[in-house]
Amino acid sequence: MPSISHWGLFLCASVASAARLTVSIPSTPPLLPNPGTLPLSTHAVLVGPPGVRYDVPIRRDSTFVFPDVADASYLLTLHSRDYFFPPLRVDVSKATDASQQQTIQAWQTFRGNEWDNKGPNYGSGKGELQLQLQPSGHKDFYQARGGFNIIGFVKSPMILMALVSAVMIFGMPYLMDNMDPETKAEFNEMQKSSPLTGSGGAADQLQNFDLAGWMAGKGTNSASGGGGSKKR
Amino acid sequence: MLLPLIAAAFLLAGSGSAVFTDEAWNVDYHYALLGQPKQSTSFFHQPNPSSRASLVYTLSERGVLGAVNPRDGAVVWRQVLLAGASAHNASFLRAGEGQDVVISGIGSQVAAWSAADGRQAWSVDFPGPLEDVEILELVDGKDTSGAKDAVALSGGDQPVVQRLDGATGSVKWQYQLSGTDVPYQVSASTTEVFVISLHKTILGYLKLKVTSLDPVSGHKMDEHMLSSENELATADTIVTVGANSASPINAWTDSTHSVLKVNIMGTKGISSFDIEKHGGEAVERVKLHAPYHINSLSHFLVHYETATSHWAEVFHVDLKRGQVEKAYSLPKLAGRGAFSTSTSDANVYFTRVTSDQVMTVSSASHGVLGKWSVGGFNVAAANDETAEPIHAVSEVSIRGDTVSAVRSAVLLSTGDWVLLRDGSPVWSRPEMLASTVSAAFATPAEVEALVQQLEAEAHSNPIEAYIHRLTRHVQDLQRLPAIIMSLPQKVVQGFLGTSVDGDITSDSFGFHQIIACATQDGRLIALDAGNPDKVLWNQQIADLQPGQTWQPSVSSPKGGVVEISSKASAGVQYNASSGEQLVSILPIDVTADQAAQEVKYAMHDGGLEATVDSSTTWHFMPTSGERIVSLVPRPLNDPVASIGKVLGDRRVLYKYLDPNLALLVTANDAATAATFYVLNTVSGAILYSNVHTGVDLSSPISSMLSENWFTYSFTAEASGDSPKGHQLVVGELFESLVANDRGPLSSTANYSSMQTGTEPFTLTKIYQIPEPISKMAVTRTRQGITSRQLLAVLADSSAIVGIPYGVVDPRRPIGRDPTKDEQAEGLVRYSPVIDFDPRWYLNHQREVVGVKDTITSPALLESTSLVFAYGLDIFGTRLSPSFSFDVLGKDFNKFQMLATVAALAVATCVVAPLVTRKQVNTRWQFM
Repeated sequence: MPSISHWGLFLCASVASAARLTVSIPSTPPLLPNPGTLPLSTHAVLVGPPGVRYDVPIRRDSTFVFPDVADASYLLTLHSRDYFFPPLRVDVSKATDASQQQTIQAWQTFRGNEWDNKGPNYGSGKGELQLQLQPSGHKDFYQARGGFNIIGFVKSPMILMALVSAVMIFGMPYLMDNMDPETKAEFNEMQKSSPLTGSGGAADQLQNFDLAGWMAGKGTNSASGGGGSKKR
Repeated sequence: MLLPLIAAAFLLAGSGSAVFTDEAWNVDYHYALLGQPKQSTSFFHQPNPSSRASLVYTLSERGVLGAVNPRDGAVVWRQVLLAGASAHNASFLRAGEGQDVVISGIGSQVAAWSAADGRQAWSVDFPGPLEDVEILELVDGKDTSGAKDAVALSGGDQPVVQRLDGATGSVKWQYQLSGTDVPYQVSASTTEVFVISLHKTILGYLKLKVTSLDPVSGHKMDEHMLSSENELATADTIVTVGANSASPINAWTDSTHSVLKVNIMGTKGISSFDIEKHGGEAVERVKLHAPYHINSLSHFLVHYETATSHWAEVFHVDLKRGQVEKAYSLPKLAGRGAFSTSTSDANVYFTRVTSDQVMTVSSASHGVLGKWSVGGFNVAAANDETAEPIHAVSEVSIRGDTVSAVRSAVLLSTGDWVLLRDGSPVWSRPEMLASTVSAAFATPAEVEALVQQLEAEAHSNPIEAYIHRLTRHVQDLQRLPAIIMSLPQKVVQGFLGTSVDGDITSDSFGFHQIIACATQDGRLIALDAGNPDKVLWNQQIADLQPGQTWQPSVSSPKGGVVEISSKASAGVQYNASSGEQLVSILPIDVTADQAAQEVKYAMHDGGLEATVDSSTTWHFMPTSGERIVSLVPRPLNDPVASIGKVLGDRRVLYKYLDPNLALLVTANDAATAATFYVLNTVSGAILYSNVHTGVDLSSPISSMLSENWFTYSFTAEASGDSPKGHQLVVGELFESLVANDRGPLSSTANYSSMQTGTEPFTLTKIYQIPEPISKMAVTRTRQGITSRQLLAVLADSSAIVGIPYGVVDPRRPIGRDPTKDEQAEGLVRYSPVIDFDPRWYLNHQREVVGVKDTITSPALLESTSLVFAYGLDIFGTRLSPSFSFDVLGKDFNKFQMLATVAALAVATCVVAPLVTRKQVNTRWQFM
């Protein structure tokens, strides 16, 4: 919110040569199609040497008017609730003689860089400068929570594995039934001899793993020989 | 340039805290306040001349201009015109009839604001302080088309009257006042502009000098002195009323309020009226109410107030004969009352608001046109206090000859601003909270009562304790039916997610803490942090004379108690839940540690002085040319969970933890340098110091110290090769910078700051921030396990940001990418620029204006810290810097959980027969 507490100080001093700075905000679709929608609290601050500070509110025509700026080098910042604006450097330099007016120049400046490192020029003027400043980004305050997402849910490997096994459970019997008898017999034969599923196979061993025996320190070779056979 | 930086900041913040969409607007609360309105600067006005809907405008005591919707009390727009204004600042607010702007005057600036949206149309600065602002309704008897011009009077060394163009603010003419007379007021009639100034006679009395000017050219037309004899000793008894009424008048009374003198402006005649004494009491105040419209009847009302009663008299001005006549009087009523003036066409209506009725009369006759009884104002007040109207503004609707409805915006003696529609309160705004100067969190007394009972059981013999406990449980049983009755509702609410967090008595999370706020005008107000929509209690605790100020400080020495202390008085304690003053202060059952000595330190002769048992132990004097700006000690209640920082490789860096640390800031105005010292407040040793040159000492320097780290921020001045702007410095103190090594402290089990002077190893980093920080605070949790967040008040953005500590950690590696171990700690490469991520804004889209200070308090949940900010606005929220790890948040979907359980149950039922069949088949299958 704007404050005008520092206004009075510089009035008398610079009545003779008033430097006027006008900053306007153009319509910049798609970011800000209508500068009239900027919140009322939008304001511009010129920070000069210690003690020199001007703070003006946004006007009806979406401009900021500093009617009377003293000679110095300023940092111009626009504060808005909804948008970021780039910081500018504004230099107001003394007139060479009384008849001439002050020179105002503006450049982009970069925070964290030395003050002499200036960016593109935003204009210069004698006694008066009008410049346009476009917002550089929109402020997004809120973080959405990761909600429930059915596609993401299905994509997760656990669910994929569960689905595959469900297909196996329900699909296999039909597949088996539809096989012709010869292939079926061959398949059964293969299954019996397969190391994974047949009697004494790895799966069988795993299923009938003798945990207690293994914990009691039975030899690894005997355990690998098949806890299941011992149990029987 | 900015975009990549913002992107970098987003990456940084990825794991940090943020405001969630479902929590915003729910867990936080905000009172957008204006400050207490003044009678002279409040009115109903139609922002759009073509529509009949009106808003209530005010320029408050706090220098805030705002428009309030009379339907719901919401602020339509507001502008802070003068930060730090008080009731003594002269301020003016005028609206021309049928105009779409309002014109304000405060300090030395006159400005016009769009009445509908509050954007500035123009502003003009005057060389001296403003004495008055008026709008010229008519010029030369003609209605000016378009924007109406304003006339402003400024004082100071060169008093001047200026006519300002209503559309652009440019000066049309100006008239320099000469002589030593003090400019007082400006008034306008249809043909003249009057300037009233105060002329001091040789005897020290005041006389009114009226200068009339031509409104078109600004030339002086006439000047005369009113013979006020020896009645006016000070300007306080002038009750003059001014501009734009059909006949502006001057009125004043003598210092004893026994006679009222009235002069019609532009004439020299003075009418004198004796003020009747109703009873024996002296009249304390005389106020004058007159319509502000040029077309309305020239009637006015004089309002007399004594300490216990009030009445009023209505006068008519006879323009043709130039006479003032008393028409009728309104009877005396006990208590205070407020009068307000409304107009409808030419007719003038006076509305009287007292604590039990609202009544409207016409200015022409004393017949009552409308009368409504007031049941109550629906505001919190102390038991022995009745809320009474201080002043009011009204809008009347006229149907035929009767008043069909009246809306009055009334300021009450409790500081609430209430709208009465036909006598019943529609909304109330707690404007007294806008002048909060100190606040503190306190546990509710109900919670504390249980703690005391449990303590009583623990400290008595077993049999007594058992009986005590049994009776307590029997008493609790009485509440059982109510609990059982409410159970189904609770369950349903729990599933729908609509449950509130319990009430103040059954608060399992510690969110319902009482916030006691002491205000500038001597009131103490309590809010419930868990249910902030209404004020718990509100009472006057200091009887301040007008113009008197106090510096209260609120604290909560123990649970359930709020203590106020000010410079003038020692602490007075209040019950936190009811606001009752505790007469007998309960004996403190904790015996003080006799061995411990207190070291007290205070500012003394521009330096710090510490004493033990009234003997000085140490002095800190800043070097010559330096002055102390601020001193921030480590918070008293600042629990730290771990004495070390665990590194990525499981080694530990030991923190330098000392309860007696303070951060002192001194400024050297000549060298524009600021020096920052970390002091040990027991021994007076300087543990760390740093000087920054080229500091803008007129902008805020904020500082904060917590745990083993400190931080401060200032604005740096530019010099060609160095950056200009606002900087944030963070320093962290370690016992040693070698991991798993405690340095010289390793061999000692206990140590005293008095004897051993170990110095910490300090790491600091400077960051460039986009805007100045006016105040800093830190989140506090119960055990200190949760990571901390630095809370920074941004005055320019009207915001409070919570900066995660990881972002400003001084251990961020410079010039290289972090190693694997550092990555495991969450450290990222140092970059000198920090942008405040919008998601760190605790206030998100709300605009929290004029925050002076922020206080924090731990909740019962370790994850959560309560935050409360005050100043002009009141803002509060709950923060979970490490996310809510110990409570199910809004993100926990109860329906989804139930659905999952149900789906699993169904799946089990479906699959079970299949599995059984398969098992049976396996058994039967021939191997």
